[in-house]
Amino acid sequence: MSWFDLLFGPRGWSSLLLTGALTTVALAVAVIPFGFGGGLVLALLKTSRSRVVRALCDGFTTFFRGIPDLLSLFLVYFGLQALIDKLSHLIGDEVHLEVNAFVAGVIALSVVVTAYSSEVWIASLKAIPPGQIEAARSLGLDRRRVFFLVVLPQLGRVALPGLGNIWTILVKDTSLISTLAVMDLLRAASEASKATTRPILFYTAAAGFYLVVSILSAILQGYLEKRANRGYA
Amino acid sequence: MKITHALSVLGLATALVGTAAQAKEWKTVRIGMDATYAPFESVNEKGEIVGFEVDYAKALCAKMKVTCTFQNQDWDGVIPALLASKFDVIFSSMNETPARAQKVLFSDVYYATAPVIMTTAANKSDDVSPAALKGKAVGSQSSTTFSNYIQKIYPDSTYKGYPGADEPNLDLASGRLDYVVTDILVAQTFIDKSGNGCCRIVTQIKRSLTPDIFGPGVGAAFRPDDKDLKDMFNKAIKELDDDGTYKKIEASYFKMDIRGK
Amino acid sequence: MDGVLGFLFNIDMLTTWGWRILGGLQITVEIVVISCTLGFLLAYPLCLARTSGNLVLSKLALAYATFFRGTPLLCQLYLVYYGAGEIRPFLDQIGLWVFFREAFYCALFAFSLNTAAYQAEIMRGALASVSRGQLEAARSLGLSSYRTSRHVIWPQAFLVALRPLGNELISMIKASALTAIVTLPDLLGITRIIFARTFDFSIYLYCALIYLAMTESIRRLWNLIERTLSKHLALARGGGAFGPVTPMPPTEGTIDA
Repeated sequence: MSWFDLLFGPRGWSSLLLTGALTTVALAVAVIPFGFGGGLVLALLKTSRSRVVRALCDGFTTFFRGIPDLLSLFLVYFGLQALIDKLSHLIGDEVHLEVNAFVAGVIALSVVVTAYSSEVWIASLKAIPPGQIEAARSLGLDRRRVFFLVVLPQLGRVALPGLGNIWTILVKDTSLISTLAVMDLLRAASEASKATTRPILFYTAAAGFYLVVSILSAILQGYLEKRANRGYA
Repeated sequence: MKITHALSVLGLATALVGTAAQAKEWKTVRIGMDATYAPFESVNEKGEIVGFEVDYAKALCAKMKVTCTFQNQDWDGVIPALLASKFDVIFSSMNETPARAQKVLFSDVYYATAPVIMTTAANKSDDVSPAALKGKAVGSQSSTTFSNYIQKIYPDSTYKGYPGADEPNLDLASGRLDYVVTDILVAQTFIDKSGNGCCRIVTQIKRSLTPDIFGPGVGAAFRPDDKDLKDMFNKAIKELDDDGTYKKIEASYFKMDIRGK
Repeated sequence: MDGVLGFLFNIDMLTTWGWRILGGLQITVEIVVISCTLGFLLAYPLCLARTSGNLVLSKLALAYATFFRGTPLLCQLYLVYYGAGEIRPFLDQIGLWVFFREAFYCALFAFSLNTAAYQAEIMRGALASVSRGQLEAARSLGLSSYRTSRHVIWPQAFLVALRPLGNELISMIKASALTAIVTLPDLLGITRIIFARTFDFSIYLYCALIYLAMTESIRRLWNLIERTLSKHLALARGGGAFGPVTPMPPTEGTIDA
């Protein structure tokens, strides 16, 4: 069968590849709020006055930045389910929370992105001129208002390049979930290439999709950076 | 205030103990499979899991009057996933070995086929003694009875383990492996459908000669607590044997008898 | 939890599986060291191509870098490993099948090409960070092109590139875990095998600790090297001959973006 048939013919694999691509994108997008949001929370915790809190946060970051992302994924996948199982036994047999592989993937990648992005957020927090915060406080704004009205808007601008890098890493890391029987793009490409013995065709197609996402992300990031830097020299 | 608090905690505790003591009523059964094992289970181009065991499991579920859902699970983690309650049954051509029986409960055997050694068509030799295979690359899916066999009988060969059952076949076709150990029907399906004449079966391995490696046959695996589910399955297996449904499904896939009774 | 407590006292597991874990560790170290070295050697000409005036060369280098930095390493690994199997007849003809037959060499090939793209980008950024004034001053002093680059530009660029290159090494140690998926029994691969035999979760924690030990040691070693090599700058900070080291612009794959 020609390559066109293999992709688009009646027994073609393009619909599976498309589903896989959507799963990949869905996974990456689902991680954004938990991963980058978590990173910000972690960064703020690291500025805490308590040495214990700081030490715990540093330990967390060191651990998840020091081990392979694939290993983080396995730890979450096997460990989390075992933990939830023990907890749900305490509640009762009928309550059964299940952590399917996609959710495990979201959690695992969020944990990894939290660890990576917390460093970016910390550097960005340090880049906010202290004068801003002093001025805001002297105007009578309380700590929460200072953070949400003064610090946060400026934070985005400084953090953008670093976060953009992490986004790129995240998109590529979603491919790891293919090792857990989740039908993402890379898994779909694997299934197709095994059934048709044409790996070059399908893996190149998958690579092409990742490239497109990568290039689009770069363009989007450039646009966002320009917008964010509007008022600045 | 404190008394009502204590009473409510007591009440809750009793309720919990109460629920835990009830036997579970099975309305939905989640089935886990490693869908890389055509013709028993595999993924088609629509992403659905299809195969002999899928059809057979569906028939069993209909007999037991439960709803069944199917999940794909990589073989390496299939028993931990069962024990962690990701699904309720492993219905994935799992051989009943003594080692596995220590962790899971097995149903009655529902099929037993011979393991085989496959090689390339170019390799004309039929000698599969450990001496002949010394230094050669022999592969199979990892964490299977096949991999245990290779590592036990051919310690001097280079063993290669793969996450999926279909991957060693591909490497045999491309020449990375000299021999593959797998199931006879899986080998036959591969040779017929996508081998392009690359490969041939050299010999069958007798289960009876290696009972601690291969066991009596393939069964469904359950968590040790779920004896009632196992009994339900055993009952249904017997009923499908008696009313001929098993033979019908078997005939639609295979020309040979795999029941192995 | 059984795993966490039993893990501390599990001497049994260590004696049974210790040797195989060491074997896996050896493969991991081999893959990382060889591919990072080859990648480094490949990255320099790549970097030159990228910054050269020749349009074709620079576009080709850009395409190479975009491909290897824009697609997942796992995808690249599959492409090399299974792709080589598909074009085996062709490889046989040019005598390269012996190379691509082995999973180890396939992994080395894919990893070297991948890290070369990242290292080239790091080098490019480092060279760009050396201010033009240095180049002009060197020229006005009559230094030849070779002398300029060897004695003026490269030492400064090297210092700037040091940190990101260390990050890249750490990234490669972590990425090496992927080779388990193409039958290579590296550290994570052995761990998976052991887990499948024992179902003991603690083996994954041991594995994590070993990786952590490797990456943390590299990180601290790198910090030490950086501090030692930039001592002269620290002393001269705020008015010395070279001024303070300018921080690298964030590049792909750096942990401390």
